[in-house]
Amino acid sequence: MNVSLNWLSRYIDLEGLDTREMADMLTFAGIEVEGIQERGVTTDLVVVAQVMEKTPVEGSDHLNCCQVDAGEGTLRQIVCGAQNYKVGDKVPCALPGAVLPGGWTIKEGKMLGIPSNGMLCSASELGLPDKEHGLWILPQDYAVGTPVRTFTPTDTLFELEITPNRPDLLSHWGMARELAGITGRALKEDPAAAPTAAAQTQPAGDFITLSAPDICPLYTATKISGVKIGPSPEWLQERLVSIGLRPINNVVDITNYVLFELGHPLHAFDAAKLTGGLNIRRAAEGEKFTSLMEEDYTLTTEDIVISDASGAALALGGVMGGLDSGVTEGTTDIVLESAWFLRSSIRFTSRRLGLGSDSSYRFERGTSPWNVLRAAARATQLILECAGGTASPVLVGGQAPCLVNEELATTATVLEQGTDAKIYYALDQVKLDWKELDVMSNASIPHMEAIRILKNLGLSDTDGKGTWDCPPWRLDLKRSCDLLEEVVRVYGIDNIPATTTSVYVEETAHDRAHDYRMNISRKLAGAGFWEVQTFKLIAAESIDPTIASVQYALPIKPLMDGDIIRVSLPISEDHSTLRPSLAPGLIAVAARNINQGMESLRFFECGRVFRNTGGGKGKDIENEVLGIFMAGKLTPASWANTKPAEAHAEHLRAVIDTLVPKANISLVPAKQARANAAFGADIQINNQACGYFARLSLKVCRELGLPAECYYAELDLRKLQQVATAPFKAADLPQFPGSSRDASLDVPAATRHADIMKAIEGAKQKLLVSANLKDVFCDPTGEKLAADRKAMTYTFLYRDAKKTLKATEVDEAHKQVLDTLAAKVKELRFR
Amino acid sequence: MKEQIATVRNEALTHIAGLADMKALEDARVGILGKKGSLTQLQQGMRDVPKEDKPAVGALLNEARTAITAALEERKAALQEQLDAAAVAGVDVTMPGASLPEGGLHPISIVRDEAVRILRRMGFTLSDGPEIEDEWHCFDALNTPDDHPARNEKDTFYFDSGKLLRTQTSTVQARTMEKQAPPVRIICPGSAFRRDAIDATHLSAFNQIEGLYVDKNVSVGDLKGTLEYFLKALFGSETAVRFRPHFFPFTEPSFEIDVLLQAAGQAPRWIEIAGCGMVNPAVFENIDKATGKQLYTGCTGFAFGIGLERLAMIRWGIRDIRLLIENDARFLAQFQ
Repeated sequence: MNVSLNWLSRYIDLEGLDTREMADMLTFAGIEVEGIQERGVTTDLVVVAQVMEKTPVEGSDHLNCCQVDAGEGTLRQIVCGAQNYKVGDKVPCALPGAVLPGGWTIKEGKMLGIPSNGMLCSASELGLPDKEHGLWILPQDYAVGTPVRTFTPTDTLFELEITPNRPDLLSHWGMARELAGITGRALKEDPAAAPTAAAQTQPAGDFITLSAPDICPLYTATKISGVKIGPSPEWLQERLVSIGLRPINNVVDITNYVLFELGHPLHAFDAAKLTGGLNIRRAAEGEKFTSLMEEDYTLTTEDIVISDASGAALALGGVMGGLDSGVTEGTTDIVLESAWFLRSSIRFTSRRLGLGSDSSYRFERGTSPWNVLRAAARATQLILECAGGTASPVLVGGQAPCLVNEELATTATVLEQGTDAKIYYALDQVKLDWKELDVMSNASIPHMEAIRILKNLGLSDTDGKGTWDCPPWRLDLKRSCDLLEEVVRVYGIDNIPATTTSVYVEETAHDRAHDYRMNISRKLAGAGFWEVQTFKLIAAESIDPTIASVQYALPIKPLMDGDIIRVSLPISEDHSTLRPSLAPGLIAVAARNINQGMESLRFFECGRVFRNTGGGKGKDIENEVLGIFMAGKLTPASWANTKPAEAHAEHLRAVIDTLVPKANISLVPAKQARANAAFGADIQINNQACGYFARLSLKVCRELGLPAECYYAELDLRKLQQVATAPFKAADLPQFPGSSRDASLDVPAATRHADIMKAIEGAKQKLLVSANLKDVFCDPTGEKLAADRKAMTYTFLYRDAKKTLKATEVDEAHKQVLDTLAAKVKELRFR
Repeated sequence: MKEQIATVRNEALTHIAGLADMKALEDARVGILGKKGSLTQLQQGMRDVPKEDKPAVGALLNEARTAITAALEERKAALQEQLDAAAVAGVDVTMPGASLPEGGLHPISIVRDEAVRILRRMGFTLSDGPEIEDEWHCFDALNTPDDHPARNEKDTFYFDSGKLLRTQTSTVQARTMEKQAPPVRIICPGSAFRRDAIDATHLSAFNQIEGLYVDKNVSVGDLKGTLEYFLKALFGSETAVRFRPHFFPFTEPSFEIDVLLQAAGQAPRWIEIAGCGMVNPAVFENIDKATGKQLYTGCTGFAFGIGLERLAMIRWGIRDIRLLIENDARFLAQFQ
């Protein structure tokens, strides 16, 4: 909300405060200052000038070239497009270098090739209400060269963010009342007090029908006849312009003015356009409504409209007036609405239709029924003053809703307004628990101080024992903690001493998970991988390779329809789906970085992935996983290594091995790879499924511009953690030397390493410590080895823990292993 | 004999002195001192030397062998020195290094871990909860009114199941209190989601760290002390911190916390960094009502929430939040 300092000063004495102090005061009242603008002419470079010559510019139908006397001794040439002035007129002239309101700097320039050394100004260009629709013609007795600043008002505009619990601050009076309460500065006279006290009320009878009392329980109408519609007086226009509103006509301006003065929205109907009385009803399903902004809307039964005997919807209650019922220049009789609407109803309508207004903003945050008559009386007073006419009593339909706690309703203090048709308002009563205050503040806030603060804010201690009547504008004070908040807020948290206490709390599984994740991340970072954080919401499918999309997800287990979780109303299709794997994000990161010329693509991410266990009907599963992507060069090229090797499957496998070095890791080829994987395998760690390993299909790599060999592994972090952090005891180093033997096996090309290892294990040779693959040899030409065969050389290490083995013992053990291999591996020959 | 010894000795010493490589030196050793070497052969002539001369000739032979051996050692050492010098001659120490694979942690991980470490020093432990949440934990338990805008499907991601993506890590407050009795002293770093269009200052998925301390007699002073300590540990002990009254449904009183940002060449300005407040008693009542136990009624506590992206952006002067999700290695390399 925009607050004008001049306007605010009408209600509170702000003498001696500079802008900075004002901003601090607001800030520590809990009101966020989003911006401060100095309004009006603040520069000396806008001066009074007299037009001495005026000649039309050739080739233009509206520009004139003027010679003006700005009191500089010589004439100044300015090209001007306005039409409302003549030679001899005195007008404001902005000289080069002048900064006009709105931050616009005047420079020397040319128009249609003619030098123009400044600008002749209208009032609106100087941040003042426009008077002539053209240049601002100044009185002749103003001396040329006089800075305009000396005779125009200046103002400071605060752009404030009001928290949703404080709708009472959405007006200048409300803001002044708050600042007075906080600072103890004097609050001036309540502008609505006198008119409200003088207001006559009478039952509306047939004129107002409340067909939806749950949404609109209180509606008042004041008929004012014989008004003369015209421009508002200057002071009123200035007020509206100062907060950025455009003056329209006196009646409309007054409804706006009262909204920003008292915070209660009003609406004025042209009485001539009404048929009979007003009916405040729910809209019919599908009912059409055209707003005064000439936009068409289709309504539902959740919306509230003001209609008349003709049945037409004249206004969308609390939100906006209709096109055909408003006040125009020809209006002579008006009906002034002041009513209370249920906040949730107005919010619903406003949000559904995407239609907001200063009215709906206030109603949806909650208005006080106590303000209904005040706003009506204040606006009526101003209309009679500014537009003439005679006013009826305020016609009251319904009664103010009771907003206090039900259990208090019978004992509450009740305010009453009006004469024949009274409006009653029950005050909230809240008991302040002093012990709670002492706990919260470490007893640093004296009770007398708390009492003073509450009284300044308009509360009164009804029974003298800590039960407080809350003022009718404070709809947010309902419970003891609400009062505590007020006390702490005003007393100032700065005045409460800081303390630090700690209690002993046990470490949790989440602590250990965090530690493990950081350990593994640092390990991978040290191994030359970039940690990335990709977006959890990804595209189901995308043609843009740099956007993560589910189609690159590679889990070996096929996903069912509905296993992938999609949000109901995505902002865009690119962010519509919860990632079922980190693969899409990491692939997109690789595609992005290769576009930047990166050759060594090594990335990892730790984070959650999401799946539904039963096609959308089962449980939503969130798993913490680690994804590792590897492609391209193993290291960046350098002068010392101009052609670094390319990453292959065994390199990513090696990285996985280093994560859990003591574990037994095996890749089990998947029976069926997904469309985007060239091949895939389940990763088993200590015989437990723990993730998957895949090579991207060559087709995908080509499409994304990635290297032909792209590898990806995804591991379940919790399972990894279990294995990696399992307790263990350090083993003694061997006491006796081992002895190794190599064996070169000539096997069919399709024989797998795992088949051989399984056969070796099958030998159950107790002296065998390890068998390591040392070399693999193939010869596609068939010269040294048949093309359908391969040679695999293994080194076997034998050791006895209790003695040094003799050569014959080693040979015997080795023979037993080789015999087993020959028996178990098909078509195996030794080379 | 004596002359022969002197000749062999002198020739050998001259020869050794002129040798220029290790191979020639070894050849010379074999040629002089080896089995068939010139001095060894002279030595074999000892048997023909008259008995009375033997001590003197023997002494001469020994002296010659010692002198030649020393000359060989000396020459070897000198040659080795030359070789060693040649081995490192011409090395340009100004050459750039060879490349190793580069890597490092993401800036969000770095600030998150730092925040976690500071808060752990103060006795907070980690907690966690699901990101796919229900309305009860995200809104109802936290005293959010039924018609609060955050509940709207324009602001929050819902699923057809009626569940939603948590809009704040505060859900973990409810999750934790449901499961355990006070005292509770937890933090939860994690993701939250809001239906914001992505631009330079907004992401629809972002990271927060949540904190909650509930016990008997927790005060506003504790809240202030904890967060001041935390922010000074994170931004430096000179950091100015201020608490501004604010509004959140689940705390009362509520505050926003600003730190005074001192950037070179700029006027210092207050930057909002966190939200916090004393837990609203309604939250405790909601938890007790849901669990059917009266564990939290009568407790007091404070809670806070901090955006990790914001923390990183302020700390490192990152202008566009999208850099944090684009993962360009040139950006990531700056944080190592």
